[in-house]
Amino acid sequence: MEGGAAALTILVVALGAFLILRGAGDILNPPQSTAPSRVPFSGGLSPDTHAWNRYHVRYYAMALLFLAFDMEMVFMYPWAVVFVEEGLMALIEMLMFITILLFGILYTWREGAFRWS
Amino acid sequence: MVVRPLLARLAKKAPVPVFLIAGIGGDEIADRLRLDERLQVMDSPRPAMVLMIVGRLTSGLNGAALQVHDQMAEPRAVVRWSPSRLDASAAIFPHLVAAEAAAALGRAAVAARDDLLAGRLPSSPPLLPDVDPNPWRGVGPWGQGGAGMTGGVPYGRPLPERAKDRDGLQLDQLLVRVGPFMPALPEGLTLEVKLQGDVIQDVVVGENPFLEEAGSESRQEVSPALVAPADLAPFLAALRVPVAIAELELVRVRHHLRWLGHTLRIHGLTALGRRVLALSARVHLGGAGARGALATADVAELRRSLERNFTLAWVTRGIGRLSADQLAALDGGPVARAAGVERDERLADPAYLALGFEPVTRTRGDALARWRLRLHEAERSLRLAEIAGDGMTTVTGAVEGPTGPLGRGLAPSSRLLPLLPDLLTGLDWGDAVSTLLSLDLDLREAALTTPGSGAVPAWAW
Repeated sequence: MEGGAAALTILVVALGAFLILRGAGDILNPPQSTAPSRVPFSGGLSPDTHAWNRYHVRYYAMALLFLAFDMEMVFMYPWAVVFVEEGLMALIEMLMFITILLFGILYTWREGAFRWS
Repeated sequence: MVVRPLLARLAKKAPVPVFLIAGIGGDEIADRLRLDERLQVMDSPRPAMVLMIVGRLTSGLNGAALQVHDQMAEPRAVVRWSPSRLDASAAIFPHLVAAEAAAALGRAAVAARDDLLAGRLPSSPPLLPDVDPNPWRGVGPWGQGGAGMTGGVPYGRPLPERAKDRDGLQLDQLLVRVGPFMPALPEGLTLEVKLQGDVIQDVVVGENPFLEEAGSESRQEVSPALVAPADLAPFLAALRVPVAIAELELVRVRHHLRWLGHTLRIHGLTALGRRVLALSARVHLGGAGARGALATADVAELRRSLERNFTLAWVTRGIGRLSADQLAALDGGPVARAAGVERDERLADPAYLALGFEPVTRTRGDALARWRLRLHEAERSLRLAEIAGDGMTTVTGAVEGPTGPLGRGLAPSSRLLPLLPDLLTGLDWGDAVSTLLSLDLDLREAALTTPGSGAVPAWAW
């Protein structure tokens, strides 16, 4: 219960601080904005199209590869400790886990993550 | 209230955040303001408190100046100085603080900031109508809902068009219009760029806003020196009459250093850029040997320290190369010399040859070669100025300006502008900016001659 009270206190203090700072800012310098002032600055011209757009995240293959190897390492260290107690069972479980990750690596391989250019 | 005066007192201790707009006849003064300790020149109008307009704006630029003004946060003020009384910008900014002289601009900006904070000067009101150009249009009664990812048209602006990217995928192509007051771009240059991610797919160069000035009816009364950047004036004079070689070479040094200071600042090397700009201010046109004047050793030291700068070399290496045809179209100038084309108008002048003049060239032809060449050229020009004494040029009609040959056909920037779409397409935005900077474009210079317009070149005025 003590933990809950502490969390609640932090929440209330943080919310209070936010409201006070925000309110003080608004009182000292009331927010004024017009339509032209809300346009993003690009040197004095207005944009024609909206900025929401989809583009190719080119590093995604590298990101997948990183995640695959990273996760492997994250679980292998604690696994090494458990392996001493559990033996064969832990080995099989780890092999299953690595097989799943291997599919990820094969997929990124197909996507060309190992082609350095 | 205690808080407000306290905050105002604290704010007065800081440099004034300003956004700088340099019009015709304002480029040199703008550089001096960048060195002013009392001012902090911002890259965006948002954090700026004072909008400084230095020089005359054309009517094409006034609209953009209004937009920049409205994008500044309140309280804000406009401080202006113009060399001419025929300036429309005086009429469009109602609460304008006019500085009586260029030298008083820094002081006027500080005074405007202090008056704003003390409430003696009202904040400059919004000047453009507060109308959303395209209000939200959904299908529901409160503008909500609709089909697709966004539900209707968000803030009325259409979503980007689809187009194939370099992998053949159908993705959005964002149309971005940048300029004419984008600090990373040459003053007055507008680009319509189609971006996928940050890769440029297409570039359209906008109309030169300084052209209306150069091509106007009153051209006969306006001297080219009023449109051209300040650094060109002695070179334009050298087209007609012999001019002191020392003066031409010192102006060239100053031009190259100013260009370098600006380039370094845009590349994020702000302190270094300021140092180089301060060096350029030490070029004394009266004589190379004057007290406190820039010496060859200063430039040589700067060159050595910059050549050791890995960051700058890394961001400029291998980008912005021109093809052989494009180089031939340039007909000389630093950009061509950086690619190994040994063409320099000074080679045709016996007075220069007598001084042992040899043009500086580089072979790589990329942005890196260009800034290294300009630094080397500045060093050599300074040495020429030191040994030239009272020597005058002996050839008129064609002269090697700081950006390329003047007097024959098009001005160097007019030759470079049509190459931009080819040069920039396919580059990342960052590389595109580095390439643009390396070309040393000046639209005021380009306004002297324009391809295909039939306008009389400035040298014929």
